[in-house]
Amino acid sequence: MVVFGTTFFNFDSFIGKTDSIEVTGKSVFSYCYHNILPLLNDSGRYSLGDARRPLHETAVLVEDVVHTQLINLLQQAAEVSQLRGARVITPEDLLFLMRKDKKKLRRLLKYMFIRDYKSKIVKGIDEDDLLEDKLSGSNNANKRQKIAQDFLNSIDQTGELLAMFEDDEIDEVKQERMERAERQTRIMDSAQYAEFCESRQLSFSKKASKFRDWLDCSSMEIKPNVVAMEILAYLAYETVAQLVDLALLVRQDMVTKAGDPFSHAISATFIQYHNSAESTAACGVEAHSNAIQPCHIREAIRRYSHKIGPLSPFTNAYRRNGMAFLAC
Amino acid sequence: MASAPRPERAPRLLAPCLTRYPPPPSPTTVGFLSMEEEETYLELYLNQCAAQDGLAPPRSPLFSPVVPYDMYMLNASNPETAFNLNPEVKETSGGFSPVDLSFLPDELTQEDKDQPVIGSKHETKENSESQSQQSRLPSSSEQDIGLGLNSPSLSNPHSQRHPSDTDLVQASPEKPDSNSLPLASITPMSPVTSVSECCGIVPQLQNIVSTVNLACKLDLKKIALHAKNAEYNPKVRFLISLLLTKLECNGAISQSRLAARKYARVVQKLGFPARFLDFKIQNMVGSCDVKFPIRLEGLVLTHQQFSSYEPELFPGLIYRMVKPRIVLLIFVSGKVVLTGAKERSEICEAFENIYPILKSFKKA
Repeated sequence: MVVFGTTFFNFDSFIGKTDSIEVTGKSVFSYCYHNILPLLNDSGRYSLGDARRPLHETAVLVEDVVHTQLINLLQQAAEVSQLRGARVITPEDLLFLMRKDKKKLRRLLKYMFIRDYKSKIVKGIDEDDLLEDKLSGSNNANKRQKIAQDFLNSIDQTGELLAMFEDDEIDEVKQERMERAERQTRIMDSAQYAEFCESRQLSFSKKASKFRDWLDCSSMEIKPNVVAMEILAYLAYETVAQLVDLALLVRQDMVTKAGDPFSHAISATFIQYHNSAESTAACGVEAHSNAIQPCHIREAIRRYSHKIGPLSPFTNAYRRNGMAFLAC
Repeated sequence: MASAPRPERAPRLLAPCLTRYPPPPSPTTVGFLSMEEEETYLELYLNQCAAQDGLAPPRSPLFSPVVPYDMYMLNASNPETAFNLNPEVKETSGGFSPVDLSFLPDELTQEDKDQPVIGSKHETKENSESQSQQSRLPSSSEQDIGLGLNSPSLSNPHSQRHPSDTDLVQASPEKPDSNSLPLASITPMSPVTSVSECCGIVPQLQNIVSTVNLACKLDLKKIALHAKNAEYNPKVRFLISLLLTKLECNGAISQSRLAARKYARVVQKLGFPARFLDFKIQNMVGSCDVKFPIRLEGLVLTHQQFSSYEPELFPGLIYRMVKPRIVLLIFVSGKVVLTGAKERSEICEAFENIYPILKSFKKA
């Protein structure tokens, strides 16, 4: 099984220092990929350099995708909120939107718990906070966990949502990401690893105000509250991560491997897409680069949105606005 | 209310152990020992104590209930804020007379190795911990350490105020009191070598949080007005009046308790019937540096059930050790923070457990 690298995003430039998308030196994908084993070459060489500086076009595309998805998500959340008659978008609304996909919901819940836990620990270490904690009567401890638990309690009909709290199943996607990161870091030297770690620490939640502006909730009547913004930042990050995961899969698929029994079964649309003038031009230029290309991203989105199932002819009716969210 | 310094105390205290050591400095200078001398004396003294076996008697005369709290120095500000602790062990009799602790080293000196510390073993209701030794973190920039720091303010204890929240410990050399009892309750020293043999690195305590119940209602305003350098934070008010009074103190364990006592004394002096109940260490935080970079991705993968690493959330890996029940924050740089301990031995044990694991994930 061939392994491939992953990307990590420099959210500074992602959100943009100016209104336009400004790609800094590090570019959007700040610490990009190493192909551990390149798909074409068995000698096991991997490329650095180029892959660490992702393509501008890809960055633009990813930003566009994430932005669109988040705006749509926000609007749906606002609708849900309005149904309740509330004045702010609360985390409950977002949880409600995610109720269908158990795995992603579980990942979100885990994230919220870890966030609570981390605040608790850091508070214990930093004595300045202890006083405020006592004053508030430790209301803030496990605040997010309480929100999630209460809400899921209220909407849970069959008990499966609440079962998620006790569920100890391994999150495969997360596992894969961890393994990928581990593989990558194993071969890095100290300096690279330091850079890698730094880039991993970037997130949307670090620059909350910028994130807020980027989302541009000003036009909306109902705005998200603080915890909801945290969740949105997390969802943005998740979207990017999902996009990267899928794009890497797509890229892997694009290369025909000798002895692959399913090479004849690659979908027709994919081949067509791959051979289209636009994508060839885009891919051809960077044929030697290991960066994820816009065509990969587009293909990934296309495949993701293309639901194959018993009701697929009627899918549009089932998706309220036709957008398949990557993060939920 | 500073009474005249009572220098006789120092010689009496040191006498039992200084049989073969040079005699203590003359009483008039005892408050002005240089840092080295003070350290020497304490080390000598404690080396003696290290030979002692077992625990000191639980009810040392020093802290018997008969002895009123007016023994203690007060050196604290706002009841609810973190304490700054002083390496003081002696108590004074009567009022706020300063206590000379200059013979004690400030364990927050910039030394890297462990400094055995005299710890007060006494407790009123419970034996919260028997601490064998503590070493302090010398390098924390937040701590204002150093013995000779407050020597100008020897006479007036109130003038030795510390910024309450940020500094953990400050030195406060104080004059001895002749009536105060010798320090009998010395915590036994466990040998340092057992801890550091494996790796030569010993975690150093950063912070200790403890609570004590004063068992009386306090009028915060009054305290704030009457005690010098006490801050009055209106937010705190309601908490105090609603609950039984609790104090929080930070710093080394012995000093934690002592600071709490001093604080109780302050409150008492202001007329509240403060008692000293339920002194309990709530949390201890230690930190150290393994001096090599650690590959956290590998660690989180192999120790999934214990660790969580979300770099976008927090740059360190959070490792929940089961036995002892300690939470470790492990950073890429090799720095490790250990928290959640109730005893120092837990911190050392936890670090010993994690060190080989960290070594295996050393980033070359």
